[in-house]
Amino acid sequence: MTKRIHTLGISILMTLILFTYQPLLNSEQDLHSVWAIKDCRIVPLSNPPIEKGVVVLRDGLIEAVGAKEPIPADAEILDGSKLTVYPGLIDALSQSLLKFPEEKFDPSKVYTGEFTDKDRGITPELLAFDHIHLGKTDLEKHHRCGITAAQVMPQRGILTGQSSVLSLSDSDKNKALVLKDGALGIGFSPGVFMTYPNSLMGVIAYIRQEFADASYFKLKMDRWKKARKGISRPTYCPKKEILSDYATGKKPVIFLCRNQHDIRRALSLASELKLNFLICDLGNEAFKVIPELKKTQARVLCTLTFKAPATSIYAQQGKEARQKAEEELYPKNPAKLAEAGIPFAFSSLDNDDPKSYMEAVQKAIEHGLPREKALEALTIQAASLLGLEQALGTIEPGKMANLALVEGDILTKEAKVRYVFADGQKFELKEVKVKEGEKPTVNVSGKWELSIEGAGGLKLTVEFIQEQASLSGTMTSPFGVFDFTGGTVVGNEIFFEMTLSVGGQEIDLYFSAAVEGDNMEGTVVQGTEGSGEFTGKRLPT
Amino acid sequence: MKKKILFSVFISVFILAGMSLSSGAEKSLLLKDGKVITISGDTIEGGDILIKGRKIAKLGKNLPAGPDTEVIDLKGQWVMPGIIDSHSHIAIEGGVNEMGDLMTPQVDIKDVIYPEDINIFYALTGGVTTIHTMHGSANPIGGRGIVLKLRWGKSAEEMIFKGAPLTIKWALGENPKQTNFFLPGQSRYPKTRMGVEASLRYEFEKAKDYLSKWEDYRQKLKAKKGEPPLPPRKDYRTEVVADTLKGKYWVRCHAYQSEEMLSIMHLCKEYGIKLVCFEHGLEGYRITNELVKYSAAVSTFSDFWSYKWEAYNTMPHAVALMAQRGVLVAINSDDAERMRRLFVDAAKAVRFGGLSELEALKTITINPAIIMGIEKQTGTIEPGKDADLAVFNRHPLDPYTVCQMTLIDGEVYFDRAKHLEERKKAEEERKKKEEEAKKPKEKK
Repeated sequence: MTKRIHTLGISILMTLILFTYQPLLNSEQDLHSVWAIKDCRIVPLSNPPIEKGVVVLRDGLIEAVGAKEPIPADAEILDGSKLTVYPGLIDALSQSLLKFPEEKFDPSKVYTGEFTDKDRGITPELLAFDHIHLGKTDLEKHHRCGITAAQVMPQRGILTGQSSVLSLSDSDKNKALVLKDGALGIGFSPGVFMTYPNSLMGVIAYIRQEFADASYFKLKMDRWKKARKGISRPTYCPKKEILSDYATGKKPVIFLCRNQHDIRRALSLASELKLNFLICDLGNEAFKVIPELKKTQARVLCTLTFKAPATSIYAQQGKEARQKAEEELYPKNPAKLAEAGIPFAFSSLDNDDPKSYMEAVQKAIEHGLPREKALEALTIQAASLLGLEQALGTIEPGKMANLALVEGDILTKEAKVRYVFADGQKFELKEVKVKEGEKPTVNVSGKWELSIEGAGGLKLTVEFIQEQASLSGTMTSPFGVFDFTGGTVVGNEIFFEMTLSVGGQEIDLYFSAAVEGDNMEGTVVQGTEGSGEFTGKRLPT
Repeated sequence: MKKKILFSVFISVFILAGMSLSSGAEKSLLLKDGKVITISGDTIEGGDILIKGRKIAKLGKNLPAGPDTEVIDLKGQWVMPGIIDSHSHIAIEGGVNEMGDLMTPQVDIKDVIYPEDINIFYALTGGVTTIHTMHGSANPIGGRGIVLKLRWGKSAEEMIFKGAPLTIKWALGENPKQTNFFLPGQSRYPKTRMGVEASLRYEFEKAKDYLSKWEDYRQKLKAKKGEPPLPPRKDYRTEVVADTLKGKYWVRCHAYQSEEMLSIMHLCKEYGIKLVCFEHGLEGYRITNELVKYSAAVSTFSDFWSYKWEAYNTMPHAVALMAQRGVLVAINSDDAERMRRLFVDAAKAVRFGGLSELEALKTITINPAIIMGIEKQTGTIEPGKDADLAVFNRHPLDPYTVCQMTLIDGEVYFDRAKHLEERKKAEEERKKKEEEAKKPKEKK
């Protein structure tokens, strides 16, 4: 046994040294690029539903949809007889897939007053793309709810940064990327430091000036580009160059509005500066400004927390008034937008995870939002608000092969998403089946430290998330941080597997352990290379 | 089928016509049997006020009510013009001061009006109908204020007092000097009173420069020679100062000491700036001749002083002293709580300074209206003016008086009896709910 343990330790070390090794096959996709889903119910949204039909996918795109489409000879067939096929759902604005490096604030700045633009929340150059964190767990969490695309955007500050749109098909962000530098976020939150702007009125004045300056910069640059003679060369400014695309309406901005008054401010700024804009309704109060939204033909990204903002009269009238408004009034926000015919999509900002996001959609339906409007908001409307109606949002030939295959109605609690396709790649969502008598008797949720015996005293920290019998989590190792999903808990035993990619090589590890209280003992197997034993201890929270 | 459609069209046209007729005819309201303190003339005992639409139509005794006239019987209670607060900081969202820079004329309270501020309702309970709300006094030039009617429940846009002159607030003395002083690295220019004044002068010169740049541009554009000229950069900050030089904004200047008030009057004269009013102006009673000569008003407190060294040299007689010598004086709140009892503060001018009751009431009605440039619309009870009214159960200067009702544009925005009734009902409902919540627990 000890010999084997040594081999495991050595092989991990080897992989650190041997960077040159490249896996032969990148992914399963190379083997399966043509799919035919047959005998399924289809809700294409571009057309009326087809009760029994075929969807053909080829090379990441939808090739054909119809009741009697022939199945191509080279297609792999998926039996959809119990399934309804929807366009993959879209989260029109999310922050859950972004991870920013933790930064320590230098307190001496308070004395020197030397704040950076970053401290002030002025970061138009900040690209969501550079900070995407798209682990396997993240993918699966979204897939379980039928979500196959999302727009992500930095949220902090005044000019928060640029959004990116992702197709949730691969944890390699380069493959997942649909749109890199999309919308610019504009927040109405003043900085906390003694630096301009540190009040809301200052923020608005600042935005006005900044956009005017960006347009002016473009004017000067264009003159200089047009005639190199007789024109004073303008000073280059990267920030203004980025902003000029937004200031001239070439690209959209997203106003992050905390309440109905912010929405009014955004609308008047947008018309004053002639911006191409979207309203993100963080305060769930768009229903209070419907005439204004209609008049300005505004498009709304509706968040779904249904919390009354602190500025609202209900919040000022005390706990009871607030609760009443949050139970009765705020969940009607999407229904009222739908009734007024205002284009809107949903945003998961402020929702904890995709699951709670979809539960909130169900709550909006309970409060009067027509089911078909909810589905449109999650698909065709979202695609159009992202400017990607050509590629996403419906099941039509030529669009991206992003689909959700569901048992039941996707907008109900009972719905079971069985498969999703993202960019033509199939993801099966297995249900963890628990037989009677094998129900989990332990809950390992929380942080654990695992020590692998023999492997140079290798210590790993694992954060488990256990939901009944299913297990997922994150492992922090000297080689990096890795996510895993699809683990199980049977009785007092846990099983999970994960793939470590170290120096370009992928190592598969299979863990199994028996849990006693705050301790576990088990075995880790590394493919055919060897195995070792490990012990684990729950870390105090 | 066709007939049916025609019929329904006919009906709907009829309904529409009826609707436009009823909305076209102004609604009328008669306030009956009040002691009407008109401010502009004599107090009418047993007086009636007829309101048509938003305006006061008639004043007198035993006015007849039309068939569509709503009647409110005041039963001998006192009515005065709605109280006007010329210096307030309520209904502002997201910070009252922009402290990030020395000069911030580019910021505008209009952008951050907060119509859900519960203090608006509280102000209504004290008979206040119109306010001038603005940012604080951290900067020599801090930004632009706004005149609001307290139309509680309406949007920000609907609260704005249409036609009121635009204002800009300056600040002298300790506040602009000391903002940021507490952190060593962040202390900024100016640190002295001379510095404050010099910083203003510098800003005016910059604005003059800005104006001439744009004038040059316009000339070049007119000349139409060669390539179209490049316009100057639009600088919102300097533009507001330039507009102040051109008289677009009425200047409201926060100041305490008589010397700095004198010197700023000189500065404004030099640049032709419309300095309308000193805010606080606690030492104004020392320079009444100069204030009258310049026609600068003072918006002040009745008996609030000594909270910092520049606010030492005054007394509760100051309001009366200034008013008696011809200075236009308003008593303001500067504070959400004091706002609800401005009539008590006006009474102090009678008690301490021996000011007449009428003159005292003017300090919270027509005087602030003149300072805000809205005296043609509000501030007195006269036919043709906005029906902004406050009803009191005793004379408004009586220490035991309580405001009963507040009307803006002829609409009741606060009715104490009704409000207390609603609160009682809500309380009963709450108790009922609580008891219901308890019941099943007992069963268990």
